[in-house]
Amino acid sequence: MTARLLLPLLLVVVALALVPAVVTSNVALNFMVTVLLIALVGQGWNVLGGYGGQYSFGHSAFFGTGAYVTAILQVRYGVNAWLGFALGIATGALVGAAIGAVSFRSGLRGSYFALVTLAFAEVLRILASVTPITGAGVGTLIKLDLRPEALQFQSRVPFYWIILALVAISLIVARVIEASRFGAWLVAVRENESAARALGVNATLMKVSAMTISAAITAAAGCFYAQYFLFVDSGIAFGPWISVEALLAPIIGGIGTVFGPLLGALVVKMLGELAKLVAGDAPGLDLVIYGCVLILVVAFAPRGVGGVFHEFYNFVSRAWTPAPTPMRRRDG
Amino acid sequence: MTKVRSGLDRRDFLQTSALGAFAAVTGIVAAPAVLRAQGASVKLGVLHPVSGALSYSGQQGRLGATIAIEEINAAGGIKALGGAKFEPMLGDAQSTPDGGNAEVEKMNAAGVSSIIGGYASSICLAASQTAARYDLPYLVDVGVADSIVTRGLKNTFRFGPGFGVIAKTALDNLVTINDQAGKPAKSVMIVHEDSLFGSGLAKLLNAQLPGRGFEVLETIAHPTPTRDFNNVVLKIKARDPDLVIPADYYNEYVLLARTMQQQRVRPKGIYSVLGGAASSYKFVKEFPEAAQYIMDCNHWFDPRNAKALALKKKVEDKGQFYTYEVFMNYSCVLLLADAIERAASADRAKIIAALESSTFAGHLMPYGPTKFVNGQNQGAAPVNTQVLGNDIQVIFPATFASAKPVFPMPRA
Repeated sequence: MTARLLLPLLLVVVALALVPAVVTSNVALNFMVTVLLIALVGQGWNVLGGYGGQYSFGHSAFFGTGAYVTAILQVRYGVNAWLGFALGIATGALVGAAIGAVSFRSGLRGSYFALVTLAFAEVLRILASVTPITGAGVGTLIKLDLRPEALQFQSRVPFYWIILALVAISLIVARVIEASRFGAWLVAVRENESAARALGVNATLMKVSAMTISAAITAAAGCFYAQYFLFVDSGIAFGPWISVEALLAPIIGGIGTVFGPLLGALVVKMLGELAKLVAGDAPGLDLVIYGCVLILVVAFAPRGVGGVFHEFYNFVSRAWTPAPTPMRRRDG
Repeated sequence: MTKVRSGLDRRDFLQTSALGAFAAVTGIVAAPAVLRAQGASVKLGVLHPVSGALSYSGQQGRLGATIAIEEINAAGGIKALGGAKFEPMLGDAQSTPDGGNAEVEKMNAAGVSSIIGGYASSICLAASQTAARYDLPYLVDVGVADSIVTRGLKNTFRFGPGFGVIAKTALDNLVTINDQAGKPAKSVMIVHEDSLFGSGLAKLLNAQLPGRGFEVLETIAHPTPTRDFNNVVLKIKARDPDLVIPADYYNEYVLLARTMQQQRVRPKGIYSVLGGAASSYKFVKEFPEAAQYIMDCNHWFDPRNAKALALKKKVEDKGQFYTYEVFMNYSCVLLLADAIERAASADRAKIIAALESSTFAGHLMPYGPTKFVNGQNQGAAPVNTQVLGNDIQVIFPATFASAKPVFPMPRA
């Protein structure tokens, strides 16, 4: 890992960290918190789906686990919110490892794996909607207690920095994976699992490891959600909405790239806000516009918005580079 | 050859500048100052889930609120503020708590004096909590979860009744109706949607029904949306309960009732608690046979109130249905206008104080004068209605009743 690889990450994170200094509106900060939350979930998905090639439709299982664990530990057992947050991430990682071990040891791949993850998320949603410890369908409400010790703040700015810190860690994790031997093995499994196995790569271990890291990142987003909105129910925690957001951000931004989920989350959420501005008070029109533009983006930019930037960069580079002078033949 | 990198490459520049471009396009950086500079009007946040799974209810709620605002403005506005007009800021919670939260942030930035609405309990919980950060008065229109007013939030008020009161009233009235008919019903099946509203209610019913002489044969939960009730109705048919108690939002309720009609499942009664469709003129008009004889314990206007009947006509003249969301939100806006009138100020703290001491009686509901204790209107209570013919009649309590209950349902 060289400084050259980390420099772009540092620049983006520093630029984002300066946002509260420029933007004082809570509306904008809330918007950016939402963007970073989706970027974090997207990065979680990207580790497994982008680098590992294992497409999950049920990342809400990890998001919900993080959200419920942090909420339940505080509300029912009086555990400190910061500790609850850390335990939420750890539990999410454990659930990821367990689901990964069960699925990959059974040899599930492709659409079968996607359906199994969806099923796990749905099972957890139903369990959460009937189990007393989660508050069943009533959900779990974290008491409003605006103290830093309770991980609650009057201002939106500390929340922004916390979610930015989590996103920064997830970006570093993605970059480390890209540059490491583990990442190379993971990509080898994605490209051709049989060939990777033949070369001695422990494919199951690679996939379970990726799933554990992916689940931990996604659970961190769930913990943050619970702490930010102070309310979790089964539909919010384990519902399909977050699984869709998790895969939408990297697909739009650029799958299997470090900045893809962040870029995708920014584009998707900005699109949603701009559609609202265009639609005015007409109910649902913003969602129609949002959907149409999304279809166009996916249709004309299959490598995501990051891919479009990359192509544009290559095009400009070629245009600026002077054509090579033909060698003159020296006679005599 | 080593390529020398500058501090910021094009891709990074594009990514970071997108933020600035967004802020400039939407004007969110400068918006609050500009909006506050506008003239003598009172900004009112009107928050509903007008898109997503709860869009119909949300749109109905918005309709009731905007009619009230138009009427108040047409009648000269807030007199204590020199005739200041209400300026509604309409928000769409998109049927999610975080959608509601984002709208409250926008409304606060725009300088609204107060917010009404939310509709669903989960949206009300999130939105009122965010409003509490800014001491922004929040008047809940419908959300019935008891926890909405038990969190100790000074800014949050609920005009309508909560779960506890609704369930107790519904059970008391059910026992009375059953007793008056010679106790024909002894067994019950509960069908409920699995979010905050349906599950909370099912839990209360399961706890209280056995003590009141009813055996709960089975409780069936389903998600919202659910688009097929065939299996649920087959289960009902197999268990053959005397009473079916649905706790669903509008679409699922209609589907359940229609499926029961199609499969010829006719229990002695369908008794809903906050039945999404059971007290809906839309349901009665579109599916009169499926709706026939369904009883409901729900929010309902005072049928003796001339203003309520005038609003009914006005709404129907617009080609809309007079659902409970309409008159609840209409009443909430009137209540808020009265508080602002008495506060003689659009200051948030003064509005909260005025709501705390409110004795407003000019609303459309059979609640009597409002009296808030810890944010809950003490007089708020549901009434029992029944679909009879092509109309919805109040059957309980006797003070407001416009018809006698028909129970058990006549067999076809």
